[in-house]
Amino acid sequence: MAQATAAQRIWIFRQGINTWLFLVPTLAFFVGYQVYPIFRVLWISFTDFQYLSNEPANWIWFDNYVEAFNDPLMWKSLWRATYFTLMFLPGTIILPLLLAILVDRVSNQKLATLYRVILLIPAVIPSTLIFVLWKWMYNYQVGPINHFLVETLGLFTLYNAPQWLGGTPLTLPAVAIMEVWWGLGYHTIFFLAGLAAIPKELPEAARIDGATEWQVFWHVTRPRLAPIMMILIVLRFGTAMAVIDEYLIFGGFNRDSPTYTWTIFMYDQAFKLGLWRQGFAAAIGMIGAIAMMIVMVILIRIFRPRG
Amino acid sequence: MTDAAITLQGADTREAVSQDPGWFQRNRSAIIRHAVINLFNLIIILPLVWVGMMSIKSRPDSMRGDFWPRKFDFTHYAYVFEKIDTLPINLFNSIYVTFGTVAITSVCAVLAGYALVHLRPRGGAFIIATLLVSLYFPVRVVSIISIYEIQDNLGLINSTSGLILPYVTLQLAISVLIMRSMFQLVPHEMFEAATIDGAGPWKSLWMVGVPMVRNGLVVIFIVNFVTAWGEFLLCSTLTNDQVARTMPVVLAGAQGGLGQWSWPALAAVYVLVVTPGLVAFTFAQKLFFKGLAEGVTKG
Repeated sequence: MAQATAAQRIWIFRQGINTWLFLVPTLAFFVGYQVYPIFRVLWISFTDFQYLSNEPANWIWFDNYVEAFNDPLMWKSLWRATYFTLMFLPGTIILPLLLAILVDRVSNQKLATLYRVILLIPAVIPSTLIFVLWKWMYNYQVGPINHFLVETLGLFTLYNAPQWLGGTPLTLPAVAIMEVWWGLGYHTIFFLAGLAAIPKELPEAARIDGATEWQVFWHVTRPRLAPIMMILIVLRFGTAMAVIDEYLIFGGFNRDSPTYTWTIFMYDQAFKLGLWRQGFAAAIGMIGAIAMMIVMVILIRIFRPRG
Repeated sequence: MTDAAITLQGADTREAVSQDPGWFQRNRSAIIRHAVINLFNLIIILPLVWVGMMSIKSRPDSMRGDFWPRKFDFTHYAYVFEKIDTLPINLFNSIYVTFGTVAITSVCAVLAGYALVHLRPRGGAFIIATLLVSLYFPVRVVSIISIYEIQDNLGLINSTSGLILPYVTLQLAISVLIMRSMFQLVPHEMFEAATIDGAGPWKSLWMVGVPMVRNGLVVIFIVNFVTAWGEFLLCSTLTNDQVARTMPVVLAGAQGGLGQWSWPALAAVYVLVVTPGLVAFTFAQKLFFKGLAEGVTKG
């Protein structure tokens, strides 16, 4: 290659500027409100930063982390998040998968479209409105769930009817049910896209060879859905471990509540208690986030599609 | 339940030839299939129908819990506008913040998606990798500590407009990645042809690129609309006054009971807030599914 002339160099330079002009808006927001905050929180976690205090923050190395690891509440709150995830994750993968297999076989085009639209309704309801809706569903006084259990089925009386929300032992299962309901249609659509990509001859050939429907599913369909399943498992594990809005609305800041997970622990320390010990809160947040990332890597290794 | 349906189907086709079964027998697997699907549909629809009914019940009926009221009362919709004084402001906040967020994120995503695919910047792969990692890291939860500080330094605590800035990033990464996979479907030659005809990169993006990716744009509109309209954590942390907040956040804090927040009044507000999204989705659903099939599943 010969040396670029000055004019060519200016041209390349201008091209470069032009390219970056397209990227500047995205990068400004992404760096300003995602990348920088994460590194800022990481820095805060090594200091004794208290937001409302006038004292400057001191670098204290791993003291916050040591304190967090010695606090039984840290381990308890991590376990609570894990417990919720264990209840939520299987339901939100298996139910949509079964539903997708059923909807995929609907041959009437109009019905198939109608089913998809109905299934996607919860996915286009904004999150807070989902929580408000289910806050009412579970309501002790007027909620239809308790009304059904007490008046229709007669399983309980008004005195011993289940108290779903507000930090009772039933709160985490109740939130898990709500989350499965919320993701049901969206995940079904995901699986349907995966099923549509499987050539129709494959399961038919297997059936002609005498395979049962279960064998067809296990040996033909499942391996081809593996990539979608892996993405869903890892992403939903991530959202389930880091749930916070639901717990703020349904649980509050009672330390004994099962909804007092690491996210609430962090929020409580950062914005509610004392002088807002954000150094300690940041350490809690980093511990939770890193614990999550470790499990995610393991999950990717387990569910990675083979061959 | 579904296992049974699957094995039944196998049994069905084999036996159907030998004997002459009734209509039910012949269509048994299809009937069970549709029954199961519709059971799930019912579970999805019922809570929403319940709220709709609640909004047109008389007050005594709302406390009774029966699905069908003894007496209907359609005045709650007018009532909430008269009696809940912050309601118009909260609704306006929601609309303002949501549309600001959707507009800014869409512009960012289109520009970045186009540049990453067709202008091939240095470090493009690094940007894409960072965007992908941010999808897996609990950024939203952990960064709240620092975002509060940023907003405070900018004087944006308790400011409704200020919410738009962090809102844009909530779905920015996924929006850019969707746009990127949409632009990968547009042949590079189309932009080259536009350049030969004398169009600069901006013009060729607007004239050639945007029409080609409009299904993906619909997906981005809806995803960002849903996120911004229902955001809770940032709004409740960064604002204190009810007048600065969006409608869903006010609704989440309201305790049902008597007075201005009676149950039917709450339900009426709920219906007002949830309907725009549902209507928009119903109109856009064809484009939405197309965009989903083109962009998201390949991304």
